[in-house]
Amino acid sequence: MAANPMTQFNVYRIGPEIKLGAFDISFTNASLFMIISTLAILIIFNLGSKKNSILPNKIQLLAELSYTFVSKMISDTAGLKAKPYFAFIFSLFMFVLFCNMFGMIPYTFTVTSHIIVTFVLAAFIFIGVTVIGFIKHGFGYLKLFVPSGVPAVLLPLIVVIEIISYLSRPVSLSVRLFANMMAGHTMMKVFGGFVISLGIVGGWLPLSFSVALTGLEILVAFLQAYVFAILTCIYLNDALNLHH
Amino acid sequence: MPKDPFKTRLEIAKSKISKKNLYNKKDNPSSIGTAFKLSTELVSAVAVGTIIGFIFDKTFGTKPWFILIFFFVGVVAGIYNVIKSAKKYAKIDSFYGSKSDDPIQCL
Repeated sequence: MAANPMTQFNVYRIGPEIKLGAFDISFTNASLFMIISTLAILIIFNLGSKKNSILPNKIQLLAELSYTFVSKMISDTAGLKAKPYFAFIFSLFMFVLFCNMFGMIPYTFTVTSHIIVTFVLAAFIFIGVTVIGFIKHGFGYLKLFVPSGVPAVLLPLIVVIEIISYLSRPVSLSVRLFANMMAGHTMMKVFGGFVISLGIVGGWLPLSFSVALTGLEILVAFLQAYVFAILTCIYLNDALNLHH
Repeated sequence: MPKDPFKTRLEIAKSKISKKNLYNKKDNPSSIGTAFKLSTELVSAVAVGTIIGFIFDKTFGTKPWFILIFFFVGVVAGIYNVIKSAKKYAKIDSFYGSKSDDPIQCL
């Protein structure tokens, strides 16, 4: 019995140690589960899009439903201008969703419960959106930091606040996903531990909590992937349609 | 038969889609998403403000001052973030004929 609920987040090496200069780039369980999720996505969508039958089978239905879901999400939040970025947002959503969902299977490792993973994703989104904004609007993109209708006295303060609020985007994006995943999985482990320690007499209450929490965690796993993708859309919308 | 029934159906569907794009959204499931968004928005701005203050203090050697100032600027930025996203949400809501004299809108 694993007494410590945090041991599930341990990253360990699988296979030999690989060094690239000063960096340790060995294959770990985190990389294994990233590869598993990516492969699962590739297999499902290849199978789903191979046979374009008018009456879809289950896998094709799954692929088509997720396609329309993401495409609707993009057109709802970022408008038609964001259509070229569909591929990016779709793969992002699917990757986060599959990593979250694979983490729900017992004995697996949840990649998104590590802040470094979510922060790398968020940092790339942040840099990408900033670059897109500067490409589309040139230095006019800096107008994002200067809201209209502000008295000149307050302007320096407002600009500083706007810059901080802009810089806080990747932090809030990554912390939200990581904290939700880690807190949920820790809670599930803690309740699981209660079942063992209270035994057959008192273990039923935490067991029922565990079952309910599993359902909640599946909802959170989906919802956090959705929120991650929709916030990417919102940031993209700010970069594409500059209006303040 | 004046018109191909499939074509009329296609046109109706197309007009529905373009209408949806025009009025952004009504039946969106992102209400829970917005709630999740608001909570971390506040915290992260404070964190970023404090980190910026820390970096300034380190480079200029003015130990407590920048961290103090930027902590409070971060708090302001966090509250500003929350108000901004709440306002965005209220605007979409009021477009569909719910309360237009919403207190958040007046900010």
